[in-house]
Order: sequence, then C-alpha cells, then structure tokens
Amino acid sequence: MKVLGLLGSFRRNGNSDILAKEALMGAKAAGAEVELLRLTDYRFEACQGFGLCLFREGGCHIKDDVKFIWSKIAESDAVLLSVPCYFLESTAVIKQLIDRAWVLAHQGTLRGKYASVLVPYATRGWIPYALLQPNIFFGILGFHVIHRETFNVQGLSETVHDDEALVRARRVGGELAEAVRGGDSAYRSKPGLCPICQDWNIRILQDRKAVECPTCGIRGRLEIKDGRFEVTFDEKARTEYRFSPEVGYNHFTYHIKPSRDYFLRTKDERKAKAQPYKTYLSSKEG
Amino acid sequence: MAEYKVHLRYFVGDPLETIRQEDLDLIAGRFGVEMAVNKIDNREFKDGMMREETLGRAIEDITQDVITVVAGDEAALRGVLAEVYDRYRSPRTPYGFWGSTEEGRDVARDLIEETGGGW
Repeated sequence: MKVLGLLGSFRRNGNSDILAKEALMGAKAAGAEVELLRLTDYRFEACQGFGLCLFREGGCHIKDDVKFIWSKIAESDAVLLSVPCYFLESTAVIKQLIDRAWVLAHQGTLRGKYASVLVPYATRGWIPYALLQPNIFFGILGFHVIHRETFNVQGLSETVHDDEALVRARRVGGELAEAVRGGDSAYRSKPGLCPICQDWNIRILQDRKAVECPTCGIRGRLEIKDGRFEVTFDEKARTEYRFSPEVGYNHFTYHIKPSRDYFLRTKDERKAKAQPYKTYLSSKEG
Repeated sequence: MAEYKVHLRYFVGDPLETIRQEDLDLIAGRFGVEMAVNKIDNREFKDGMMREETLGRAIEDITQDVITVVAGDEAALRGVLAEVYDRYRSPRTPYGFWGSTEEGRDVARDLIEETGGGW
C-alpha cells in the first residue's frame, strides 16, 4: 500500500512541507510506503486547449513532466495533498495541474483511490476558496476525499510550534492509510455544508429559486429556520454531482464531443470573421 | 418579416424535469404559438450504463429532446421561452439552438441572461 504526498508549495521546510511530512510519517507508521513530490520541482506547461485528449482519446501531446506525476498517482493507493492558501485559494501550480487533468477525467482511469487535503493558511477569513482547487482536482480524478483540514499558521515553519497541528496532520496520514487498508471511504473531517465537497460555499442561482454548490453543482433549497440559514439537498441531487461517473460521461458525450460537428459546420464563417483579430496587436506569430 | 422559429436542444441530463408534450401544449395555448417536442434516443445499454458515441456524429442525430417553438412575433416567443427556461432551464451548449432561424436564436440566447435560466 502506497501513500503519495503532493506538495503545492515552493518553500522548502515551510508549513505545507512540514505538515505533509508529518502526515506521511503517520501513514508510514500505519504501514504504508510513502513518497513526497514537490510539484514545483517539475516542469509542466499550461494546457493548450487543443482538445486532442478529448477528441482523439489518445492522451495529451505535450511533452513535459505531467505524465510522470500521473504515473506516480497511478501507482499509489492514496494521495495526500498539502497546499497552502495564498490569495484566497490554492497556489497556481494546482490549477495548472487541474487543467492538464482533463485527459484523466475523460478516461476515468484513477477513479476510486483515496485522498486527504491539508491547507495551511495565514489569516482567518481569507480562505473562502481554499478547498476549491483540491475539490476540483480530486473530483475530476474520482477520488474519495476523507479529510479536508485547515491550519492557521503564518511564518515559515511556524507549524512546528503548534503541537495540535502536528498531531492532527499525523492522524490524517494514519487514517488515510487505514482507510485504504479497510476500504472505508467515510469522511473523517468536520463536515461542511455540501455533502459532496464538504465546503461552505453556496451559490444562489439567478432564478433565485434554488442554490447550488458551485464546485460539484448539486442543487438544494435555502431556508431560514429559527433565524438561521438551512441548506438542504435531497437524495437525488446528491447523486447528480458533476464529478459522478454518469454526469461526467454525459458532459463529455453531449457537451463536448458534439462541438466537433458544430465546429466543422461553422468553420468557414468563423474563419472569415476571425481574420481581423489574427494579427491585431499580436506580438508573436500564433 | 422576421421568422421566429427556435429549436431548443436538451441533451441527456440537461432538462430539470422530463419534457412532456402535454406540458408544452399548455404553454403554447397561453401564448398562441406552435410547440412540439421531438425525442431522439440513440443510446445503448453497455457496461452498466446508457452509452453513445457522439464524436463525428451530426448534432441532430445524437440523443436529445428538441423543443421547437414557432411564434408569430417576438413578444409571444419571449413569453414562451421564459416559461420553458423557468421549468427546464436553458439549453447548455452553444449548439443548443442549432437549426433555429437567426431572429429566433438571438431572442432565445439573449433571454437566457435576462431570466437567469443559464446558471
């Protein structure tokens, strides 16, 4: 059994690094083989949006280190992601990886593995989207996320002063390994409002008749009970989250693949109309 | 004279509820327009799921419910579409109006933003 740590921070021996290592120590103590990859040590380019992975189903054509990252995830049973919250959300390296993960979302080859998320952050109240990218990342991979833990630490390595944080991180690692061993995907962290993402962000839909989790897209009802907001999601809605195999399949099958026919049918008209933009203010030949 | 003919293409999982002709008839009656739903289903049950290969297929041939509205004037079309979006939400894709007249498509597209049916 293997637990792979992914580190979304450039800083060596920073809080994300320390928490990840503490958690991996916990996983190792629980019998797992462990490995840690610092994502900023690898070169991966921005997705170029050609859609070859979708339309030709042959994988991504870009030659960089992303395939190595995917191979490391593939050979692991669980992933521990430790990523700091910088400006309200994860570091950019995670978003870059998400964009490149389209091919995996389409293929669904990594579904069913386990994950835990650790997020150190500096200022209370400045982390509204801290779980957004981790949830998207593991959502499109189809992982069971069993922890989402945040840690209020600021200075470099400050977390070493916080015994509770270290104990919690070690427990996360241990429980992640145990979850893999027992095949138990129960959620261990404090629950959030969304039963899928366990986050607290809710979007009021423009028709003002319903709310949704903006990440997984499940629809619910917002009510006020005893002076407090209550959000409820019925059982059907809970099965229709955007990362579910069925919704994901329908998205690729009906919202993406037919766009090829649409593209081909409108190609000549678009090409002619796009001509004035091709060279306007262009500094490089595209 | 403008021709207001709109096709609203709802693919699998797109409408919030089942689209039934009898429900459309009630809306059509209120606004004095023609409305019809054409249900196309080319899926096959495979590997425990309903599946379909849509790559390289014509938009019109893949599984979908197509609501067609033919209205004599813009006001009637807007009224009908507002009810349709409210009930089913709007089509999800840029090709969700494929086959509509230009006038009809423009109204249908603009109205999504006005009604909030495009969330």
